[in-house]
Amino acid sequence: MIRIVTLAPFDDGDLAFLTKTLYQAFGLGTEHAGDRKLPKEAEGAREGLDAVQLLEEVDPVRVIGDDKVLYLTAAPLSMKPGPLGEPPCWGYAQYGAQRAVVSTARMPARGATEASIEVFRRRLARECIHFVGHLWDLHHCYDPRCAMHPSWAPGLPADPEYGLDTFCREKSERRIRLAKT
Amino acid sequence: MKGPPARHPEEKKDDAVALEGVIRTAAELAPGDRVVYPNQGVCRVVGLEQKDIAGQRLELVRMTREEDGASVLVPMNKVASVGLRRVASAELMEGVFHYLGAVSDDPELDWKVRHRDNVERLIAGGVLGIAEVVKGLHSLSRLRPLPTKEREQYDNARHLLVNEVAASLGVPQGVAEDYIDYALDPPAGVKFQLKPPPKPFVLTIPPYRRKKPAVAAEGDLGLEDLGLDLKALGVPVPDGEEAEGEAPAEGEEAVAGEEAAARPSKAAPAKPARKGAKKAPARKAAARKPAARKAPAKRKPAAKKPARGGKKK
Repeated sequence: MIRIVTLAPFDDGDLAFLTKTLYQAFGLGTEHAGDRKLPKEAEGAREGLDAVQLLEEVDPVRVIGDDKVLYLTAAPLSMKPGPLGEPPCWGYAQYGAQRAVVSTARMPARGATEASIEVFRRRLARECIHFVGHLWDLHHCYDPRCAMHPSWAPGLPADPEYGLDTFCREKSERRIRLAKT
Repeated sequence: MKGPPARHPEEKKDDAVALEGVIRTAAELAPGDRVVYPNQGVCRVVGLEQKDIAGQRLELVRMTREEDGASVLVPMNKVASVGLRRVASAELMEGVFHYLGAVSDDPELDWKVRHRDNVERLIAGGVLGIAEVVKGLHSLSRLRPLPTKEREQYDNARHLLVNEVAASLGVPQGVAEDYIDYALDPPAGVKFQLKPPPKPFVLTIPPYRRKKPAVAAEGDLGLEDLGLDLKALGVPVPDGEEAEGEAPAEGEEAVAGEEAAARPSKAAPAKPARKGAKKAPARKAAARKPAARKAPAKRKPAAKKPARGGKKK
């Protein structure tokens, strides 16, 4: 089961599209499990909330077995700079564990037209599949058509596809089959 | 077309070894140490323990793999030869990132050479070797999709690298993977100020040689790999293996002797020897000239004829 928890107000239509897409991608039941507040502890010295800290401090959600929890926020996220600098942070997932967070701050504006809303929803779905994929032990993929391709990669089109490629889909299916519940 | 730069150009590829921070004796290990087991990932040393195996008391190093908590037991006298090494230091890891961020050479296009090199790098277990595999296959994936086997190899190498980067830099795996891809695939407009890649480690121990399966004697249960005294167990030991432990020079002779002894034993059965003799030149010829590929195709029907006759009888 994938439980979506919102840390900011989201449109019901967007959430409905997201739950449907996550169900199609992983074959797991998906539901909106409620709202939570952004933890103040995640506000660090850097610009944006510390994504790692946010997941540690955010209020928990009741989960059973191998349930995955996906937090959605509109606030910009950041992470500790690495040896070559700080990568753009679209979200963060505890690899192979339960929690992930996705930010809409870097996504195209939702706008008011049907076309812009569609683009926003597709991108939101892609990023959510990407970070839920990390929760199922998936690594980044070199294929720009796969949702596991890095979100900032220069080869990624403006309106990328939001499905998994064959290798990633089969790997996630294997992991899900081995799950406890 | 070239792959990632050779780390030891003067060295034979068969002699690729685990490089950075290699552990030579079990005495260097203490409970709580984090080590890297080639092709397995980051492990934590639990301690030393003794176990009775096949009637002999063995001293083993017990480790747990951090990824899934699986137990790994290594005989103390095999610690050096399995390629166990310490987790890469932050300085070395920085060098690895500078290597990942550098402009890559053209990938190796001959899949046989590429696959053999990558397997050897992964078995050797050095962090720079793993980075070479990831970078080499990543640059190849820009030209064309990877075949299934190499796709799995790429994913495994990436998994090992992510785990070691996370352990070395003290960050979660999700962040470590972002660091790696930030170096491999930087966003548009980002340019790194790169340093030269780390220098290769100077070898001070004899290279780790993998055992060739063809050389293994019939009925070999792998007891020797556990460090068991085969004489005490009453298992017949070939002459070459007895000499292995006496001195390094003699040990080399013994290995040479084993190979020499294995050659006639391979040649003894008539059919396999003929097949091997035919296949080897055919492969070489196929690699050199495309016209030579037709030769084995012509031979095939000739080989089938006696088989049909046999069925009729």
